[in-house]
Order: sequence, then C-alpha cells, then structure tokens
Amino acid sequence: MTEFPSEELRTDFWFADWSFPFFVGLLSAGVFAGTHMYYVYGIGAFNEVAFVSMLRAGMDTGVYGAVAAFGASFLFARIIEGALVGILDVGGAIMTGVGLGIPAMFLGAGVTYPLDNFFPALATGMVIGCAVGGIIILARKFTMNQSNSTFGADVMMGAGNSSGRFLGPLIVITAISVSIPIGVGSLLGALGFYIWNKPITGGAILGAMLFGSLFPVAI
Amino acid sequence: MLLMILMKSLVIGGLVGFAVGAGAARMFHAPTTQGMGAFRTLGELNSCEGDAASHFSFGLGFFFNAWASSVAAGAFTQDIDHRIIPHWGAAALMSRNKNIAETMHNPKKMAIACGLIGMVVVAFLNSTASAVPPSLQITAVKVLVPAANLLVNIIMPVIFWLAAIEAGKRSGFWGTIFGGLAQLIMGNAVPGLVLGILIGKGVDDGGWNKITKTMMSAVVLLFVLSAFFRGFDLEMIQSFNLAIPAWYELIHSTLK
Repeated sequence: MTEFPSEELRTDFWFADWSFPFFVGLLSAGVFAGTHMYYVYGIGAFNEVAFVSMLRAGMDTGVYGAVAAFGASFLFARIIEGALVGILDVGGAIMTGVGLGIPAMFLGAGVTYPLDNFFPALATGMVIGCAVGGIIILARKFTMNQSNSTFGADVMMGAGNSSGRFLGPLIVITAISVSIPIGVGSLLGALGFYIWNKPITGGAILGAMLFGSLFPVAI
Repeated sequence: MLLMILMKSLVIGGLVGFAVGAGAARMFHAPTTQGMGAFRTLGELNSCEGDAASHFSFGLGFFFNAWASSVAAGAFTQDIDHRIIPHWGAAALMSRNKNIAETMHNPKKMAIACGLIGMVVVAFLNSTASAVPPSLQITAVKVLVPAANLLVNIIMPVIFWLAAIEAGKRSGFWGTIFGGLAQLIMGNAVPGLVLGILIGKGVDDGGWNKITKTMMSAVVLLFVLSAFFRGFDLEMIQSFNLAIPAWYELIHSTLK
C-alpha cells in the first residue's frame, strides 16, 4: 500500500469503492452458476464436500430449511465482518452464502428457474452479488454506527464449521452399513488422507468409490 | 453434454477468477480499499515472499485435494478461490516480474491472470469430474446421501443447539424456543436456532433497541406465517384431539 497515492485509491476503477459491488457481482455470478452446474450435472459446486452435501440432502428430501439457514447466517455474519475489517470473506459470504444459502431459499420456495438454466443463474448471481457489495459499501460509509453488536455471528460460524467436521466419520459409518468391502475401502481412504494431512472426508468417499467399483452392490 | 459443461465451465471460471484476482490484490490496499478474499489468503500470499515457485507449489498442494473432492462429490472445496487461483495467478505474474507491487498488488494484472487461470482450472476440474463413470458415482451417492442426511437432520441441530446454550442464558433461551418451534413447524431446528442466537446475542450486546425489536417481530411473523401455510396449526389442533372451529377452517380454505 505504498506505491499508489490515496487519491487514486478512491477514484481509480480498480481500487474505488463504487467498483466493489461490480467485483462481488462477477464472483457471485460465477459461484451461483457453479451451483447451477451442481444442481443439473452433479459437479462444479464451489464449496467443501460437507457443505455441498447439505444441499444434496435438500435436493433429495425437498427440505431446504437447514442449508438455507446455514448459508444465510454465514452471509449475514460475513457482510458485517467484511464492512468492519475491509476484507470480505469469499468463503463464507459468497461460496456458502450466495452459493448454497440463497439457492436453498429459492429451491425451498419452489423456484427452480434460476438453478435450472445457465444464463438466468449468471444474472441472478450478478444481482445478488451487486446487492451484497452495495450493502458492504453502504455499511462502510456509516461504519456500523447503528449498532456495535455482531449478533452472535461468531457463535453461528463456529457451530457451522464444527458441524462440517462431522461428515468424514459419518461417511465411513454409512459406507460400512452399505457393504463390508465399501466400508473397508472408505476406512482405508480416510486413513490415507489422514496420514497425508488432508481432510478425511475426500479420502473416505474415494476409498468407498474404488472398492464399490471392484465389489459392486445391488441397488 | 461434455461440450456444454466445458463451455459453461470456461465462463464460470473466467468470472470467478477475474473477481478473485482483483479482490485479492485489493486486499493489499485494505482498509482504504475494500478487499475481497480472506485473511488467511492474505497471510499465505505474503508468506510466499514473492517467489513464483513457492506460490505455484502452494496452490498445487490444494489443487490435488480440490480435484479429489470434485471427482468424488462434485465439490471444488473453498480452496479453489482462497488458494489455488490467487496463488497461481501470482505465480504466473511473478515468473515475469519479481516486483510484487507491480504484480500481486495490482488488481488489474491479478484480475486478468487469475481470470485465465480460473478458466483453465474450472474447465479441467469439471470435465474430469464429469468423465467419472456413473457406476462409481452410484457408490458415492449411496454413501454420501445418508451421511449428509444424518449431518443435516441430527448433527447440525445438536451442534447449533449446544452452541446457542453455551453462548449465554439469553441466546440459549430464545434458541431453545425457536429451535423447538422450527423443528415442529419446518422439520429442522437449525433455522430457529440461528434466529435464537441472533436475537439473544443482539439483546446481550445492545438491549431491546429498535433493531432487536424489529428482528423479533419479523421472526415471530415468519413462524406464524410458515405454520399457517404449512397447515401446522390445523394438524396441531387435531393432534390434541380438539375440533377445528369452522370459521378457522374457512380462513384456511379461502387463503389457499
């Protein structure tokens, strides 16, 4: 932050406040369209396996309340934080909030159009992102002088993050209940990822898939 | 279909990469400029000390993990935006110019470099993930879906409930009330628990002011309306072996 005069930081497109909603809009458009990809093809969601599988659970049961609340609380918390500290957290606000929470609200309300179609998905994401960016810039202008409470944002995010950690062991448990070879594969995969210092969720799924292809189970 | 996925992936990757690159470079000028990324991204970008090779290998470690979860569950992991794209963008720029003020701290250059990298990364992850044979994905779904259901229906309500209780008497009180109501009305306690924490902590910090009172009214309204439109009120009256008043049923049938 040395080489640019502060006047330029306020007016130049690449640094100004007014261009911030535009950048958030582009990112949200991409992430929302990523959720469209997941909804239609089952690939390409911009989030952790644990959080995406919450959306999966909603798609299978039709009950989206949990994932909508989860995403919305992250979005809310990160907007407050982003305005206060000057850095918007992309993971909580955009990938979880706009990428999971808002689609879950749409789907819970029975609105599937923006998730079924690519260009409406881009447009929806763009509008939501611009709104999020605009709120942050407005909040910065008034520097949150309305209230200095975080409304328990830290509590919600703590709970959200610790629930994600449960998925790895849960996958091994359900894999074992599907069949013994798939269970063994899942266990070995989880162990391998643990030794490799990676989250065990990915290893547990890959191991289950590998052994499931060698020892298929009847559906 | 593969071509369709590829085209869409290029658009998505370009948009996300462009924005992440610009946002990451803007972080170096925060708080004067509003940045976008994460504190850990900022720290990790700094920790590579302007060395293109360490930026590249840092991103590569997370790339394999992202690839594994894309193939297994269709999820890129958050690392794609937090680590892979910004680090590879920085590495690409620094391979030609070692001055970080002119490369990694410049939103325009980072946006362009990261936009191109985003296109390649997203297209690669999606096209390889979609090439996985369906028989493999059936196993993944058979294992993943019950696990995700357990997570959403049991684990998350319990964790959020305990978090509400541990956050203080007030958020525990409202969390328990709204959590229970949400489980009854909506079938999952998490939305109610989140609202309970919101109100409890809001009142803890600021008392019953205009903001918390408005929030409370909105929450009550939300519950009343969703109970009504899901027919929970009628179901409840019947479950307590009571007769539904005729005028009340009339309101229901006219409003639906």
